Parts: sequence; structure tokens; C-alpha cells
Amino acid sequence: MDKIEVNNLSKSFGHTKVLNEISFTVKDGEFLSILGPSGCGKTTILRILIGLEHADSGTILKDGIDITNYPAAKRRMGIVFQNYALFENMSVLKNVQYALLKSVSTKDSYTRESAAEKAKQMLDLVGLSEHLEKKPRQLSGGQQQRVAIARTLALNPDVILFDEPMSALDVDTRLSLRGELKELQKQFATTMIYITHDQEEAFAMSDRIMVMDAGRIRQLDTPMNIVDHPADDYIRQFVIQNINTKIHSLIPFAWDEEGKG
Amino acid sequence: MLIPSISHGMGLIIILGANGWISNLVGLDNGIYGFWGIVIGSVMYSFPVAYLMIYDVLRYEDGTPYEAGEVMGLTTKDKFFSITLPYLRKPLISVLFATFTLVLTDYGVPLMVGGKFTTLPVMMYQDVIGMLDFGKGSVIGMILLIPAIIACIIDMANRDKGNAAFVASEYRIRKSKGRDMAARVICIVVVILVLLPIASFAVLGFINKYPIDMTISFKNALQAVGMGAMTYLRNSLIIAIVVSVFGTALALFNAYMTARNKTKLSYVLHLMSITSLAIPGLVLGLSYVMFFKSTPIYGTFAILFLVNSMHFFSSPYLMAYNTFGKINENLEDVGSAMGIGRWGMIKDVILPQSSGTILEMMSYFFVNCMMTISAVSFLATVSDKPLALMITQFEGQMQLECAAFVSLVILVVNIILKLVIHLAKKKAYNF
Repeated sequence: MDKIEVNNLSKSFGHTKVLNEISFTVKDGEFLSILGPSGCGKTTILRILIGLEHADSGTILKDGIDITNYPAAKRRMGIVFQNYALFENMSVLKNVQYALLKSVSTKDSYTRESAAEKAKQMLDLVGLSEHLEKKPRQLSGGQQQRVAIARTLALNPDVILFDEPMSALDVDTRLSLRGELKELQKQFATTMIYITHDQEEAFAMSDRIMVMDAGRIRQLDTPMNIVDHPADDYIRQFVIQNINTKIHSLIPFAWDEEGKG
Repeated sequence: MLIPSISHGMGLIIILGANGWISNLVGLDNGIYGFWGIVIGSVMYSFPVAYLMIYDVLRYEDGTPYEAGEVMGLTTKDKFFSITLPYLRKPLISVLFATFTLVLTDYGVPLMVGGKFTTLPVMMYQDVIGMLDFGKGSVIGMILLIPAIIACIIDMANRDKGNAAFVASEYRIRKSKGRDMAARVICIVVVILVLLPIASFAVLGFINKYPIDMTISFKNALQAVGMGAMTYLRNSLIIAIVVSVFGTALALFNAYMTARNKTKLSYVLHLMSITSLAIPGLVLGLSYVMFFKSTPIYGTFAILFLVNSMHFFSSPYLMAYNTFGKINENLEDVGSAMGIGRWGMIKDVILPQSSGTILEMMSYFFVNCMMTISAVSFLATVSDKPLALMITQFEGQMQLECAAFVSLVILVVNIILKLVIHLAKKKAYNF
């Protein structure tokens, strides 16, 4: 069953049409990347999915239920931003504990102690058990993003949305965080929708990639199929040109499936 | 910045007036009254404001252009003209207009040292308070408003859009014995010049009768207390505390609506919130007289709370606006997604993160309420008169010693408040 089903989603800001009749589905437990240049509408999709913006037309279904008009809090989705959006006045531990104690989806299930315990477990998973009492500003960018991921995962959402979460990080941190994120996804079996303009990132992490341009979907397929069968010249130029030489190393699992790796 | 402008004028008279101690020392028979008196007094009065603004700008200057200049072999003079001055141009224009408006609308200094040289605010004050000629006062108020508004508009147009300041590396001052010593001497001289009038009235407050009887005495203190100084101090404290809480809450609300909700309406609210920068206190006071005369709050503490909250609104509002603008823009989104909600985010994250700014805002309202003599002078009654208005009262009765004592009380209260805020901020930053 599809976890998310988006039908004919359109959105305009003033006279600018940002999304034009977009339709796609995301499978349960899938890692879908939305790839495209700045201004192609990818962040707008994400904000509409989570309920921070409302579409002009179209519907969103989650597990077969129409959630188009649900408030953000009722959708059971989490979001991780590029700028971490951590609570700067709280320690690393408190960031996660506070979310558990205040979020509508978890607040009835936790006491202060059990929330702290759960927060420690989640922070241990992202390798931050040494930094529990530190303030976010005392951590590196990568560590701060790990706190944001732990905080989101702790709430056990059905879907996690990532809005260019690694854009502000250095290359080494990105590489290690990519692997960790994929591991976490496997472990929690959470559906993840990942916005990026970085082709390498999309190809290295995704089960499927949705390439967008000017408010439309150009192609939605597996990384291998996008490489082997680009839908049009735009895909060929935008996606493949830059990474053609690295493609073998970026998607080894796909090559294994094909028996070529 | 901690005492009313009229006290600066008074301090100047003690030094350079007809019987000023420096006047007597150098044989300056007629004192400094008139145009030059106003200029010197206004420089001393506006110095701390200008200094703090420039200090803040220089503190955040990027050091890398200087390092690049060093590598390119620029001389110190070249660096000053090609790096420092261009960097300072916009802030300097801001400082210029801020002090221009401050001096233009002030009546304290000219009232004390103006002599026959009358300025518009003094004229307005004398017409309204002395002759109860509200009509003429309003006309003068309107005239006074024009340059103040023009200055404010030019200043707003001049300001940088957004946060352009990016400090790659701090500017490091190299040691240079001769230059540092010269700079130190200049700073000491400036500090002495600024503090001299204040020190003079501090001494004057405890002198029997200047310059006839220079014996130390508590007579002025007792006289001021006898005339109700303690009651007026209580009034001032009530006004300052209520306004610092109420005004800060209002400024925070407005700043949140404008800094974290980018709509056309929020821009209009932003413009309205900074309008009070352009409105001189005397004009505001007079307009409140006209507007609220037949309402129940006229003649009560409530109108003083209101007029002071509005009079000093813009600066604390801008402090909150800048702080809120710098806080992570996605916090409310994260809160919405988690179901914590906007209010939860404000209460638990945004306000605690802004605690230093909130304390500064409260301090700004408090200090200004303690020392203002402009808007309140038209609105206060015997039962709610603030302490600072005793200075103009004593000045009118030529009792400079008592006026000096009252100024000193205001200074001490404000210094104590500043100390408390400093300690609270230290605690707040240790969250």
C-alpha cells in the first residue's frame, strides 16, 4: 500500500504558479528524494505535505486517508530543516525530552523521567551520548543536525520530511551523515522524503528520485532507471551530466541488483 | 543617559554659568549662556547616545579587509579612508540623525543655559506650562514635528536592509605605545569633560548655598524630601515599573508580529511601531492633552503609563525586532509539525532565547521613565507627578541645589537598576 498519495496538487504564490498538477505516490518505508534546481517547487511540496502551506487544489492521502485539510500536528509527520531549528536555550537532552513531553502525539505517553530516558536512547543512536548536557551552539553543524534527526525520530512519525538537511555541512560530515541516515531509516522502517538539489546525495541515498523543474515532475524513477533511461533531454543534462563518471560508485546496491557490480 | 537633559544643563551652569567655578577661575563674567551654552550642553547630553551607537558598529567590524589592506601595502591613512570611513558612512548618518532629533526636540538644556537664545521646544514648554496657551503650543509642536519626521525618514531610507554584517575575523588592534598613550589621554579628557557637570551637581546637591556658603549640608536633601520628593520618587518608580512591564510586553507583541510574520500588514505595523522615534515628547504630551482631556484616564497614572509607553516605544521595539529576526526562522514550523503550537514555541523557546534583550528593553523603559521631563510635564498632576519634574520646579524657583539633589537621586536609582539588569543578564546568558 502507498504510504502517501498525492493527486493533482497545484499551488500559486501571487501570479507565479509554483506547482502544476503534481501527482505521485510514496511507498511505505521508501526513501524518496525530490531533486531539482532552486525555485522548482520542491520545498513547497514538502511544506504542503506537512501542512505548513495549503494547496490551491489537489488532495493528499496518507495510508488511504485524506489528510489534505488536516492541521500539521495531526498528520504524524516530522520535519528536519537545513538550519536544524534546535531550541537554543535548551541542552541537547532537553531538546529531545521537551519534544516528547510537549508533542501532541507523545505527551500522554511520557513522564519527565521516561522522556529523558527515551531522549538518551535516541541521542545514543546518533552518537551524541557524550554531549547530552551541551547547548546546541557548542556542537558542530553535523552534530546539531544529528540532534534534530534524533528529536524527530523520537516522536516516531509515520513519515519524515527533510528540507536540504545537509546543505550547510562540509563534505566529510555529509558523507558520514548520509550513511547514518540510511541506517536509521532501515532500523526504524520510516518513510522518508528528502529534498535536495545535490545530485550525488539523491543518487547515493534514494530508493527513487523525483526530478522536478518549474513546478512539474520531469521523471520519477529509481536512480538506475534515471541513468539508463532519462525521460528527456532536461534529465540527461541536469542530472546525469554532472555525475556520470561517479554513478557506479554512488549506487552500488542498484548495480548489484542488475548483476553488474 | 541616566539623568534628564535639564540636569546636564544644570551641571554646565555650575561649571560655566555666571557663577560657575571654571567661569570664576578663568574670569568669564557672563558665563556660557546662549547659543554656545546650548551647543556644549547638548554635546554632553547626546554624547553617550552617539558613543554607544558608534561603539556598537565598530565592535562588529570585520577585520579581514584590514588584513587584505595590510598585504596590499596600504598606509594607515589609506585604510582609514578606503575601509573605515566607507564602513562607517551609513551608521554615521544614523548617529547624526539620532543626535539631531535628540537635540532638536530637547528643552532641558536650552531651558537651563539658553539665556535669551530660545529654541522651539523651550518656547512650546513656556507657552503651554507658563501661559497655558495650548493653541500656540500646538502650532509650535507641528513645526517641531516637520524636521523630526524628515530626519526619521532619511534615517530609515539610509539604513541597511537586512543583516549585512558578517564578521569573518575580528579586528585586532596592534600595540603601539605612543599611539595608545595618546588615545588614552584623549579618552580620559573626554570622560572628564562628560562627567564634570555630573560630578559638579553631585557635589552641589550637598552644598549649603552655592557659591556663597560652600559648607557641606543635607539641607537640600531635607528640603526636597520636605517638599514631597519621596512621594514623587514613589510615583516615578510606579510609572517606571509599570511602563517597563507593560511597554515591554507590548513591544514584544508588536515585534513578534512584524519580525516573524512577513505580510503587508506586518510591514504597516512595523512602520507604525517606529513612528514614535520621530515624535518629540513635548508634542506627544500636548497631543495627549488634546485627545484624552475628556476621558476618565486624564489626570491619572494611567495616562502617564500610556504616554511613556508610546513615547519610548520605538527603541525597545527595534531591539526585540532585531532579536526575533535573528532567531531560527523554522522554529514555529517545527512546533506546528510537533503539535506544540506557536504559543508553546514563543513561551518555551523564543522568549527564553530573548531574555537578554527583554531585560534591556525593560531597562530602557525604566531609565527613560525615571528621567523624562517632556511629555509628562503636560500630563502629570500633583497626585501623580514624577520625581524628574521636581527639577524643573526647583529650577523655576532658582533652587539649583535642591534640583541637583533630585537629579542625583534619579542618577542613583538608574545606576542601581542598571546594575540589577547587568546581574540578571549575566544569569540569563548562563542558561
